[in-house]
Amino acid sequence: MKKTLLSLAFLSTMAMLQLNAGEQFAMSDADRAMYKEMLENNPADIYVEEGGELFEKLGDEEALAKFLGVAEKELPKYIAGFPRYVKKLGNVVGLDQVLQAMQVEQGKEKTKLKSGKMFSMLAYVKSLANDEVLNIDVNADEHIKAAYALGEKTFMTARGGRGLSCNSCHSADIVGQVLRTQPLPDLGEVAVAGTWPAYRMTKSSLRSPQRRFQGCMKNALLKVIPIGSKEMVALEVYISKLAADKKKKMAIPGLKR
Amino acid sequence: MHTHMKYLAVATLFLSASSALCAADLTKAYDMPDASKMIENDLFPAAKEYTMPKSCNLDDAKAIARGEYIFHNLNGKKAKKPAPEGLVKFIETKDKDGKVKKKAKQYGNCVACHNIEGAKGAGNIGPSLEGYKANFIDTKARDAQFVYQKIADPRVDNPKTHMTVNLTTGLFNEQEICDLTAYVVSDKKKK
Ligand code: HEC
Ligand code: HEC
Repeated sequence: MKKTLLSLAFLSTMAMLQLNAGEQFAMSDADRAMYKEMLENNPADIYVEEGGELFEKLGDEEALAKFLGVAEKELPKYIAGFPRYVKKLGNVVGLDQVLQAMQVEQGKEKTKLKSGKMFSMLAYVKSLANDEVLNIDVNADEHIKAAYALGEKTFMTARGGRGLSCNSCHSADIVGQVLRTQPLPDLGEVAVAGTWPAYRMTKSSLRSPQRRFQGCMKNALLKVIPIGSKEMVALEVYISKLAADKKKKMAIPGLKR
Repeated sequence: MHTHMKYLAVATLFLSASSALCAADLTKAYDMPDASKMIENDLFPAAKEYTMPKSCNLDDAKAIARGEYIFHNLNGKKAKKPAPEGLVKFIETKDKDGKVKKKAKQYGNCVACHNIEGAKGAGNIGPSLEGYKANFIDTKARDAQFVYQKIADPRVDNPKTHMTVNLTTGLFNEQEICDLTAYVVSDKKKK
């Protein structure tokens, strides 16, 4: 059911693009047919399944809930509020970093943050929270407050060869305008935190939110900063808040252009 | 005093041993690479005023051709047509080990935000620059100096601009800003 809804929403966006924009948008009929087919079977599902298998080796939801110190039935809601300050990790962290810490605690090898395996596991764990409203609380403690402030600063900082910031292209006043052939998305409205990891059709792979940020950095000539850095987690905090403010729900894995 | 110290030592020993037994320190168990220096090194100077150099020849057909090429292309790897005279597609850089690396030269990709004569897939974040000479230069609403400054560093007359900064960031040199200016203010036939 959920999948049909998602697909419908996606199809109607595609149709809108087609109607409103005519030839301005770079999508051929062949592409459109391919996307339509993909909707019936989001390629990300295979990755999420793989992620589930990897996660099982860590002990499943029960182990995660225990690690985070929450009741198992509270876990979905808790997941929908990440990134969070996790006291025993000493920082505001993403769920991927929590998974790494679990691995280390269990004497297992830690999966690299930027690896496909980690994206899959992250997608699986976040999908446990599907249908939950995003609920990041950026005033919960001093640490998350600081992370939010750093996220905002990182979002606003113009840098790189073209002197652009995230805000140059994602500020409220230019949402919907067109860059080359791409309408600029409202990062809250598209619920970045609730839809990534997503299968990115133009890249034929599953990508995490921070991996997506790196895509924009690379394209706009901002020095690409590493996944898991304080600034990246902070960006995710800042962008998650945009969707939480709009009461968006978790729907992992997403399917993106 | 002495016994005090002893107690302390015993207490610390006990504490560290018990924490190792109960819960390992997990504050270093996950990756959190540093990015602050990368960002710092990626910053660029504040808004700067420029005077269009005397060497800028706005009527030079070769300069206009280069400007057109920079305007419509993202970089040397993506650009399909051969580069016009005086412009390269790749630059060679030396990395730390002295190895020479070929890197695509970056162009303006101005068309991502601006429509102009012959544009393909133009964006609309910036104003259309179609008919710029007739509309803005011939009417004296703008002059070449304005255009030069805008391209070099648009923050001077609009601190909150969404436009790229092209000279102060060091991505382009004065000549390339001249080329772009020459192209924007040139008389273009509709393609
Ligand atoms: C030069 C313009 C530009 C800059 C600068 C830029 N973006 Fe983007 N961004 C875009 C465009 C255009 C899209 C839509 C692309 C698409 O639909 O495939 C986009 C899409 C995104 C998305 C995906 C939204 C979705 O569909 O779920 C995220 C997340 C994002 N940007 C984050 C960032 C962050 C973080 C930064 C700064 C580090 C940034 N962007 C900088 C132009 C930009
Ligand atoms: C990311 C978007 C973006 C890109 C890329 C961009 N511009 Fe702009 N441009 C703008 C905006 C927005 C304005 C409106 C004025 C302002 O904000 O400074 C503008 C204004 C201008 C103007 C002034 C028009 C007038 O008379 O008022 C010129 C000339 C111009 N741009 C040329 C260029 C050139 C040349 C390039 C490429 C090197 C370029 N632009 C790249 C967004 C952009």
